[in-house]
Amino acid sequence: MAKKRGTGKAIAHHGELLQGVFEDAGGQLLRGLVSLPCPALTSIATFAPNERDEVTVSPTFCEKARRAASQSLVTFARVRTGGHLRLVTNIPIGRGMGSSTADVLASIHAVLDYLGIVTTTESIMRIAVDAETACDSTLFKQQAVLFAQRDGIVLEAFRKPIPSLNIVSVDMAPASTVSTLEFQPAQYEPGEVEIFRPLRSLLRRAIDTGDVLSLGRVATASAWINERFLPKPRLRELQAIAMRYGASGLQVAHSGTIAGLLFDPVDARTPENMDLAIRAIDALGLSQRTFLT
Amino acid sequence: MFDRVRLRNLEEFEDPRMVPLGGHLFGACFFLMKLLPARFMLERAVERGQLGPGGIICESSSGTFALALAMLSVQNDYRLLIVGDWALDRNLRRRLFQLGVELDIVETAHPTGGFQLARLERLQDHLRNKPGSYWPAQYSNHDNPTAYSKIAARFIDVVGPVDCLVGSVGSGGSMCGTARYLRLLFPELKVVGIDTHNSVLFGQPNALRHVSGLGGGIIPANVDHTQFDEIHWLSAAEIISAAHDLHKKHGLFMGPTSGAAFRVARWWSDNHPGKRVVAIFPDEGHRYADTVFDVAWVAANIPNWTRTRSEEPITVPSPGVKMTDWARYPWGRRGLSEVLGDGLPPG
Ligand SMILES: Cc1ncc(COP(=O)(O)O)c(C=O)c1O
Repeated sequence: MAKKRGTGKAIAHHGELLQGVFEDAGGQLLRGLVSLPCPALTSIATFAPNERDEVTVSPTFCEKARRAASQSLVTFARVRTGGHLRLVTNIPIGRGMGSSTADVLASIHAVLDYLGIVTTTESIMRIAVDAETACDSTLFKQQAVLFAQRDGIVLEAFRKPIPSLNIVSVDMAPASTVSTLEFQPAQYEPGEVEIFRPLRSLLRRAIDTGDVLSLGRVATASAWINERFLPKPRLRELQAIAMRYGASGLQVAHSGTIAGLLFDPVDARTPENMDLAIRAIDALGLSQRTFLT
Repeated sequence: MFDRVRLRNLEEFEDPRMVPLGGHLFGACFFLMKLLPARFMLERAVERGQLGPGGIICESSSGTFALALAMLSVQNDYRLLIVGDWALDRNLRRRLFQLGVELDIVETAHPTGGFQLARLERLQDHLRNKPGSYWPAQYSNHDNPTAYSKIAARFIDVVGPVDCLVGSVGSGGSMCGTARYLRLLFPELKVVGIDTHNSVLFGQPNALRHVSGLGGGIIPANVDHTQFDEIHWLSAAEIISAAHDLHKKHGLFMGPTSGAAFRVARWWSDNHPGKRVVAIFPDEGHRYADTVFDVAWVAANIPNWTRTRSEEPITVPSPGVKMTDWARYPWGRRGLSEVLGDGLPPG
């Protein structure tokens, strides 16, 4: 065995730029999403082998991460291995920021690091989807992808990563939490799925050309479509602030409670606009924080 | 997540070719636009169990929708019955026959609803006599506008953010569907619809019309009036000369409703420099070679052909006024009764 212990790190996301139903190459419809990565928040996993033949975890509620580590060992270790997995994270739980997925991915990476194995993104995704039911697309760092979160497959790889954004992040319902597993996925009407075609087209174009305004339009449209399935209180008020202070768009966690105003870091008026927006959000009595991606 | 029915053998014919026409104007040139909504309606009908293998499709149409259904029926082994009228020209009749379509031509107009209503009444007889047959009902079927998400996506792929959409209105499916999908992303989008004199779609009193494909004597449910910022009305002579111009200036041999879209889009584009405009050109010109593109035929059949044509529209105070030339009305995304005031459709 190569190492005494292994470590792995995974990042959070700030919800999704787009989530819906999309055609795969064969024309069949799959649920898909494009996560908005939030590298400022991370989960770090440490895996230390021991004499037991099972994996234990702390904190103990990180059962899915434990399962993922265990499955990674079954898949990649040449001898049956047990050990202890420790997770340290600063990702808020139940906000739709991918805390659970980040734990799972960090754990898989920790086991791979311990084993000294390099594998494909696809096989990591497969273990993650098995452990987690659904997964996000934060693992794809070189280029943004439209990811079928329940099938673990890439529906479309875009030419570039998501352009840098300044996000004013707001928790719209701090008192409630949404569980990925318990949350009933959106039941779209057959005609409703057509909505996602033009959104996918504009998103592709926005990413390929680094067009933050178009990115914001896609995120805004996706946020409003999602209101039918997981409404966010006071989203209309937040949209008004976005429009008043020149945000590129409004963006949400489609299975969570956070929302964000997206600003273009290249625009010279952005710092001032963000200050004004933050003050307006404070005046609504909502708490906010800023992420620069 | 959903198992979709796919009748896509002719899909390569569905997308328009996007042709730059100078300034920031693009023409979306369709081979036969109706192939898209026809295919989409049939797929959804199969999914809902309304159309079974080898089933019978019945529709009222005197134009391109009939042809699209006929092509799809041959591809997918359906039987097709079309109720048409005089507007179904000789060439199209021949094609429909060759495609195995059962044709029923209505000879006399309904006293108030014209040929359109007469056709619909005849169609109801056929539907009663052929139990289990499927009526796509392009004028009211929501799948007609819904099909155009694909076109909105295509416009974004080629043009990027669209500022203005221009096109003729018949069933309303293409303009209202495309506009609805584009507006989701571009709320400031301007939508300019084109109708013809004597058509009730946007408030003209019903009377004889000389071009088909746009306008009508009945207001289709798929016309969502609240989508339109501006409505233009053109005479038959203006529409036909515009189709000639599109051919002469850009080499594009397209049908009369394409000509109408070209005329209005060119004017709108010239008056809004820098705005990205897309005009919908729904079909090619071949079907009209012996009529619209035959100057002798036009001179003999189209009123006021020799009259000089206006370079720009006259803005009218209300949609119901008597029109002789190119007219324009700032519709302002209102409902029909809101515009007409009395809440009653005309005619
Ligand atoms: C040639 C042509 N152009 C335009 C249209 C109008 O399109 P829509 O029915 O989508 O309003 C039609 C409709 O039949 C048509 O046949």
